[in-house]
Amino acid sequence: MDFIDYYKVLGIDKKATTDQIKKAYRKLARKYHPDLNPNDKQAEKSFKQVNEANEVLSDPEKRKKYDEYGKDWQHAEEFEKAKKSRAQGRQGDYSGYTYGSSGESAQDFSDFFESMFGGGSGFSSARQKVRFRGQDYNAQLQLSLMDVYTTQKQTLTVNGKNIRLTIPAGIEDGQTIKIKGHGGPGTQGGPAGDLYITFSIDNNTAFKRDGANLYKTVQIPLVKAVLGGEIQVETLTGKVKLKVAQGTDSGTKVKLKGKGFPKYKKEGQFGDLYLTYVVKIPKNLTQEQKSLFQSLEKTNLE
Amino acid sequence: MKKEKYISIKTFCEHHGVGESFVYSLYEYEILQLEHKENEGMLYMEDLPLLEKMVRLYNELDINPEGIQAIHHLLGQVESLQQEVASLKRKLNTLE
Repeated sequence: MDFIDYYKVLGIDKKATTDQIKKAYRKLARKYHPDLNPNDKQAEKSFKQVNEANEVLSDPEKRKKYDEYGKDWQHAEEFEKAKKSRAQGRQGDYSGYTYGSSGESAQDFSDFFESMFGGGSGFSSARQKVRFRGQDYNAQLQLSLMDVYTTQKQTLTVNGKNIRLTIPAGIEDGQTIKIKGHGGPGTQGGPAGDLYITFSIDNNTAFKRDGANLYKTVQIPLVKAVLGGEIQVETLTGKVKLKVAQGTDSGTKVKLKGKGFPKYKKEGQFGDLYLTYVVKIPKNLTQEQKSLFQSLEKTNLE
Repeated sequence: MKKEKYISIKTFCEHHGVGESFVYSLYEYEILQLEHKENEGMLYMEDLPLLEKMVRLYNELDINPEGIQAIHHLLGQVESLQQEVASLKRKLNTLE
């Protein structure tokens, strides 16, 4: 756990007045507020730091304690040890996905803060007003490309509640789906918040994916490229035989209709698989093969 | 869970500590829609997340309704650009 210089976070002097603190906080909050920086994790982190600094420095009692404690930080190890048992992770990590709350949440304090002032409870922060609609939750779910080749049903546990989830085949990397009413509970009859799940799709296959279309480069032997013939190609669902036309150039593209990825929310429909042929030039020739090429050369073949 | 489609502007404003004029000015700037039922102004439940965001900008950052309108417009642009970048990144990935 590191010491946090809250004055530095707000960019102010140790002698700053309450007004200067407020001004500095407002300035930075406008810069990093999550509502103004959608999908920006760095801004969210900065916003939390700025909030934490303001939480301490705008409260005369906390500021006093911080100023005294801050001076002795290097000698405060014992204090730290005693408090360590209180510092616990605030973000759950359940079977490969993490969740956190979004929106105005500023309740996520650093270990340093918690060791000095305790957990988030007992705050009379102006930002923690009674809400009507429940808080939205964000979760990340990591899946492999083959996982999303088929529609899956999965049960997630978020905040102790089991949520049955259907993940449609063909979902995109980075796509977010909203599950209505599975966020935090509302107050005084207000509706519950929503749960947003963002998918992170790991592609560990030999195929590149763009939406429902797949792309792959296939090497074909020089002789087959010149004379034509049959080759075997691996698709996502197994091997297929393909005819290579006589005189196939490197860079030739072939489309295998319907051999791509499932189309999102269009059951039974698939994209296409695009193959790009690369002619493989043999490197290690036997003496006999070499002399055959030399004979070819003499025919002035171009 | 009961599913109501509307919430009265009065109830919303009581919960969030904002004046009704704030909600009406957002309506005027076409950020949200309103309905009148039994002589009472109603908000669509589905607009709540958006409206709550606007209340945060208003209360926490001192941004006035005019500024909120501009922000609303720009955030829409940011989000569509983010989607475009994500889709271009995926395309670029297929070329590498």
